[in-house]
Amino acid sequence: MPTLPVPTFTQVVFVLIAAFTVISGLGVVVARNLFHSALLLAATFFGVAGLYVMLEAEFLAVTQILIYVGAVATLITFAIMLTRGAMHGETNPLNRQWGKAALFAFLFLVGLLGYLGGIPWPAPFQAIQADEGLIARLGEQLVTRYMVSLEVMGLLLMVALVGAILLARDDKP
Amino acid sequence: MDWLNLLVYPAVRVLVLFFVLLTGFAYLTWYERKLLARFQVRYGPNRAGRFGLLQPLADAIKALFKEEIVPDHVDRPVYLLAPALAIVPALIIWAVIPVAKDFPAVADVPIGILWILAVAGIEGYGVILAGWSSNNNYSLLGALRSSAQMISYELPLGIFLVSILVLAGTFSLVELVEMSRPWWEWLWLWLVFPLFFICILAETNRSPFDLPETENELVAGFQTEYGGMKFALFFMAEYINMITTSAIMATLFFGGWKGPFADQYVWLGPVYLFIKVVALLFLFIWVRASVSRPRWDQLMRFSWQFLLPVSLMHLMGSAVFTVFLK
Amino acid sequence: MSEPTAVAEGTEQLPFNDAVPGAVLGTWAEETDKAYLVAPDKLIPLLTHLRDELGYDYLSNLTCVDYLTYQGKKRKGVQERFEVVYHLYSTRKGGGHIALHVRVPENETVPSAVGVYPGANLQEREVYDLYGIRFEGHPNLRRILLWEGFHGHPMRKDWKEAYYEQDTKPFKSRHPRGGYQFHEDKLPWGKNTTYPPGWDPDTWQEPVAYVPVSMAPHPVVQDPEEEERRPHVHTESIVINLGPHHPSTHGVFRMLTRVEGETILALEPEMGYLHRNHEKIGERNTWLMNMPFTDRLDYLNSMSNNWAYALAVEKLAGIQVPERAEYIRVIMAELTRILNHMWSIGFLLNDLGALQTPALYAIEEREMILDLFEEVSGSRMMCNYFRFGGVVRDLTPGWLERARYLAQERLPRALDELDRLISENEIVKARCRGVGYLSAEDLIALSVSGPMIRAAGVAYDIRKAEPYGIYDRFEFDIPTLPNSDVYDRYYIRLLEAREAVRILQQALRDIPGGEVHGPPAYASATLEEGFGTILGGKGGYTLRPPEGEIYSRIEAPKGELGFYLVSDGKPNPYRYHVRAPSYINLNALGPMCVGYKVADAIVVLGAIDIVLGEVDR
Repeated sequence: MPTLPVPTFTQVVFVLIAAFTVISGLGVVVARNLFHSALLLAATFFGVAGLYVMLEAEFLAVTQILIYVGAVATLITFAIMLTRGAMHGETNPLNRQWGKAALFAFLFLVGLLGYLGGIPWPAPFQAIQADEGLIARLGEQLVTRYMVSLEVMGLLLMVALVGAILLARDDKP
Repeated sequence: MDWLNLLVYPAVRVLVLFFVLLTGFAYLTWYERKLLARFQVRYGPNRAGRFGLLQPLADAIKALFKEEIVPDHVDRPVYLLAPALAIVPALIIWAVIPVAKDFPAVADVPIGILWILAVAGIEGYGVILAGWSSNNNYSLLGALRSSAQMISYELPLGIFLVSILVLAGTFSLVELVEMSRPWWEWLWLWLVFPLFFICILAETNRSPFDLPETENELVAGFQTEYGGMKFALFFMAEYINMITTSAIMATLFFGGWKGPFADQYVWLGPVYLFIKVVALLFLFIWVRASVSRPRWDQLMRFSWQFLLPVSLMHLMGSAVFTVFLK
Repeated sequence: MSEPTAVAEGTEQLPFNDAVPGAVLGTWAEETDKAYLVAPDKLIPLLTHLRDELGYDYLSNLTCVDYLTYQGKKRKGVQERFEVVYHLYSTRKGGGHIALHVRVPENETVPSAVGVYPGANLQEREVYDLYGIRFEGHPNLRRILLWEGFHGHPMRKDWKEAYYEQDTKPFKSRHPRGGYQFHEDKLPWGKNTTYPPGWDPDTWQEPVAYVPVSMAPHPVVQDPEEEERRPHVHTESIVINLGPHHPSTHGVFRMLTRVEGETILALEPEMGYLHRNHEKIGERNTWLMNMPFTDRLDYLNSMSNNWAYALAVEKLAGIQVPERAEYIRVIMAELTRILNHMWSIGFLLNDLGALQTPALYAIEEREMILDLFEEVSGSRMMCNYFRFGGVVRDLTPGWLERARYLAQERLPRALDELDRLISENEIVKARCRGVGYLSAEDLIALSVSGPMIRAAGVAYDIRKAEPYGIYDRFEFDIPTLPNSDVYDRYYIRLLEAREAVRILQQALRDIPGGEVHGPPAYASATLEEGFGTILGGKGGYTLRPPEGEIYSRIEAPKGELGFYLVSDGKPNPYRYHVRAPSYINLNALGPMCVGYKVADAIVVLGAIDIVLGEVDR
């Protein structure tokens, strides 16, 4: 009888966080209420942030919470609350195509697994120094190597903002 | 072995922290009631115990023994989750605040300031969930106001934080407190402290920014449908938030645990921090007693048209100072 | 409409008939308070003529009398059961009123005066509610004080309440020699909870689609289709009930508010949650029994209510008031005014969210005023201090000194302190300036009275326009402010309180007679002789004013408080109507709120300064 290895603390935590992420991700899709979906989406973002912490990428984790949970998901709930029709009851019904959608999702998963299997993961990975040096390097990269993409993104957001203001503007003086 | 280091040791710290915060919350309510009474030519609680010191205990017992009512029309799971979600951010933000020399409350993560920003970002969830799940117009309006207010005031708050970050050159609050700053830097910080304090008032939904729960308009706003212990949790969240933000302000603007001899005698650190927090809490209550509430659109206008440009200018100033003077 | 009963041709030439031919049919109650009988179909032209040509721009009072059981001699041979009564004043010229009566048989309608005087809105609804008289052309003729499930119209003389005993007090069963009986055993009307025919409480739904009578200067979107067409991102409007249980309504009051976002599209006040049919009870009571009952109208200002009622009865019965009592009345009324204004300022600030601090500072001096009231009357709020022909007892020794200290030292200081605390506050200004605007013309058309119109620049104060008591002896100004917004409504109260202090100082200086000397200042002196002897009629200990009617009003702190009384020469008032300023000022609530935010509605309501005891009666 082979002895089962005693799981380390890290492994236990990883399993818990991963399970949390997957379950809430599933919940986003199957929840019958739009608002519940939005909340579960926030929970999923949280789980992903937890996974980042496991990878010792605290900066990424906190940014994930700051932007996705703090801003994006809040905005989604805000939008749902403004539309009263989509508030209570079954506002997120399954439509007739859910079977096909599930099939394609499954196929995509299979394909993805096949691709992932082929990647040579660096098994005994080097711990990255997650200190300010890393963040500083990140900042440097953003304004040198990824300069153009950063600016384009900024422009895009700007355009979106102006468009939103134009849409929402009352014609009253 | 990693079980002990990773689990038991922090757990003990966390327990101590929670105990301190919950006691602090209880006596903050007493402190506020006494102070408000003094501002309003009254006596305040003076029946339970000497100077009414047992009043928080009486309140706690009352809240605990209230019947737990869940109204029929609410969205039950979300409704029950909301008070818990409200209180969690208020507690976990403490993890990174240094209480004495080389001694953060739980852990010295290298991203302390970002942690504060991130947790501040999720603070709104309790309110939003409560407002939505109560299925009540007052609650909904309260939640809407709350979300909009938090989003609006988080921006200048975050930019002020970044400004401090640029000046300090470190993400860690422990280092931030321990580093020595030149006099002009203190001055430059204190210049914006009033504005930062206004943002904090808005973030904690304290009067005069208590629009999500405006008694005169929305009855009790997002917490209209809550009673008993669930209401007490919201109450607790608000007050612990006050303590927490006071500690953050003390740390960022007033040197945290620092004070005469705090380097030699480590136990003096928490004492100094306590004194600073109490002084800042006095400010919260003072504002509450003396100022009436602006209308909600005036509030938003103030944030977007005044606070945001000023915070951006402060950030630019900080950057210029850092480049040329440091 | 049926033929109106012929009225005997008087020797006197009837007025207005040259302008509106055939409008005035005759006169009524010539001895006490002359009124003109108006043909129903000529009412609207006559009102228009009076308003436009003669300057009677203010409809003060609109009510109704049911003459079913009238026992007086003067109305013999009149067929019509009801008379709708109008009292018109001129805010430009001042002076007395023109009273108009329209005789209506049962089941007939009267043309609505809302088109001429928008302020008739709430009063006509009240008449419809309590008497069942329909006003043709009223835009929103619904019940107002009672709910839709109420069977009958209670102010009609043939309507009997639950546990009904007799038409008038004192009830026979309460006499000591009468046998003791349980009320439940002798109900002729059962429990008297019947519903109107065809009305089912279980299926009834409250109508949410209401029609606000809005004269707002802002665009109002009432029509959902029009709302769809508006060229902006369409958002659904929701209906919010502010009240009945709501911290800001100062009682049990409801504002049905349609909001889009937080902007008010329409607002309709809903009241009657505290309704106890004050007037019906008042008609059961004897004349004197009503005196403590008036305390319960505006329970903050019982002294003013007392005075308004005492004044009306004194005018009706021709009772003289001694000099000292007149002074005491002025002192009490002005103390009440200060108390009320400080209270309303404090609670307006509370509505602004200033968590009670200003309120507590504002009512500090109120405590001292209430102490003074308690000393003379035995009660702090329900004073019941006035009597017909004076006040119930003289001032206690040392009272005047304490009042002088208050008037000279404390009150001016307290008012200055409030001024410093509030007037220049940035947030108060930001919240109050320009909020709740309504032009002076609109306010007068809506029958609004009191500080509200003076904050719109109309220097109209009954103490000057039609002086009562001894107000013509004092030197005081009528403060006015130009802007007609919430801030001015706050500030005008402060200025008025200062004027009240001025009057108070003069009255306390000039009050004649000491504690021992001087003429008796209290009514018990006249009571000992019996009212019957004074009035030259049969003896008796109950006041029986001569047959006739009276409408008399005073400048109460909240506005124009009037009493309309009809006597048929019996010991009980035949008709007892209160023209409550809080109630009629609510006419302006909807128009003032439209276009502003929900938060503003609260402040606007706070600045109207209502007391629900008076609104719902």
